[in-house]
Amino acid sequence: MLSSSRDSADSMAADLDVNDPNRAAVEPSEDEGIVQAARDGDRIAFGSLYQRYARMVHGVLLAKVPFADVDDLVQDTFVRALRNLSGLRENGRFGPWLAAIARNLANDHHRHAAPMTELDHEIAAFDSGSSPDTELSAAGVLDAIRILPDTYRETLILRLVEGMTGPEIAAHTGLTPGSVRVNLHRGMQQLRASLKLRPQSAHRREGTK
Amino acid sequence: MEHQNENPNPERNAAHDDYLWDGSGAPDPDVQKLEVLLKEFRHHRPALSLPALSAEPRRSFFRPRIGWLPVLAGATAAALVLCATLLLLQNAHSPDQQAGWSISSVAGTARIGTNTISGDVPARLDVGQTLETGNQSHASLNAENVGLIELDAGTRLRLLAMGKDRQRIALDRGTIHAHIWAPPGQFIVDTPAAITVDLGCAYTLKVDDSGAGIVRTSLGWVGFKLNGREAFIPAGAACATRPKIGPGTPYFENAPSAFRAALERFDFTDSDPQQRAVDLNLILSSARPHDALTLWHLLSRVDAGQRGQVYDKLEELALPPADVTKDGILQLNQPMLDSWWNSLGFDDISVWRHWEHSWAETSPAK
Repeated sequence: MLSSSRDSADSMAADLDVNDPNRAAVEPSEDEGIVQAARDGDRIAFGSLYQRYARMVHGVLLAKVPFADVDDLVQDTFVRALRNLSGLRENGRFGPWLAAIARNLANDHHRHAAPMTELDHEIAAFDSGSSPDTELSAAGVLDAIRILPDTYRETLILRLVEGMTGPEIAAHTGLTPGSVRVNLHRGMQQLRASLKLRPQSAHRREGTK
Repeated sequence: MEHQNENPNPERNAAHDDYLWDGSGAPDPDVQKLEVLLKEFRHHRPALSLPALSAEPRRSFFRPRIGWLPVLAGATAAALVLCATLLLLQNAHSPDQQAGWSISSVAGTARIGTNTISGDVPARLDVGQTLETGNQSHASLNAENVGLIELDAGTRLRLLAMGKDRQRIALDRGTIHAHIWAPPGQFIVDTPAAITVDLGCAYTLKVDDSGAGIVRTSLGWVGFKLNGREAFIPAGAACATRPKIGPGTPYFENAPSAFRAALERFDFTDSDPQQRAVDLNLILSSARPHDALTLWHLLSRVDAGQRGQVYDKLEELALPPADVTKDGILQLNQPMLDSWWNSLGFDDISVWRHWEHSWAETSPAK
């Protein structure tokens, strides 16, 4: 069971990026003009799209590839997007289109990269500085998320790692808010089971007694 | 993985996960703890590296010794962008880029024509050449501006055309996994029983020794076409095809087995009318809302006398738009069929119609 950390509640707003200026940029309609400018060759506009979507791309990639390779693949994703912007059918669908490019690159990388055991070692090495008083390591939790079904792990990583809200995830990936909400709920349930955490309803029942 | 804590009705309880959803509501301590733990993996937003735009991205290049350059770096950056753009344009039009696919990996041995290749030596597949994997080998093809194709064992593939706006291969037998980032409609695969048109997606295409094939889409959607018979296969769906018949009716792969079996008989078995009616009834009675995909295709595949029955069921599953009438559908009015398709939420069929006119529909590969 994880220890409750009420004293960190205030910092959660920051973790969730509630105050992130990019958070306002979740409406696809707002993207259309920027995407069009980027298609017209405006590199500043493309940089703006990078700022808006880098977290989403990072999360999509992190769901499948070693952490050490993710930043490079984020770059690759945006370079490929820039090169193929003319193939985007609807400016308002930039996010889902970009996510598809990222998934393709992740699949490509996954097929040609080292086995997952190496990934485990890599993460373990990266995670060596984790606080010793935590019962779970970040690497262990990330591994647990990565063995969840595809549908859940990507959404959970966007929420728990990248700090995106459900509405942001829906707006960026093109999934319906309902699907994202169900994916988050089911994914979190499976993650609790995998990590042997008690379901949230147990917390609530305890809290109300 | 353990599932003992799985709630039997997650959708109903999802509404109580306000904190997990958007950070509102009572904080969930477990979610909070996981957020703290996992924050170290979060994207730290390095600026997009402009030099990366100048050429084929290479891993080592993205850890530049010169450091990350800011996107909005002024005149110097603008000059770099200009150079990068010119290089990109040059690359996009270089004959080498258009000549063929590079063979990026080979596990075991494969052959280009009569020449054996292995993973040790770089190789290319040029227009007119045939790549064949053995019973124990795999190969990967890569074209920078088109995509990646992986060949399973026992696959025979020919490169028919490699142009600026059109790439065409023939899959004679075996299995390919295609991840395509070329614009929709530009990557075409001929099989003995249909042509497969990428509409922005990733998919697996399998052809057996008889020439029968099946496509399974994992991202985006795929068009399947032969002699005017067409099928659209979105992510999660599959569609079989047979020589001389063409594409069957697409279905979601999680459809009940009885539904799928009845559909296969309906599509490819020379059944008597009574059996066809039985199969159609089974398909319609067991169709779920998602199976509107299948029913929409059936509208143009059933006999005229059965079309009203399919219309009624599809209308029950997915109301048609205002511009669609039953009479129009019974007469297979194409704009109405297209309008109804677009309302199903899979993708915009105008993309297909646009490209359809640009294809020279040729006979399947010989």
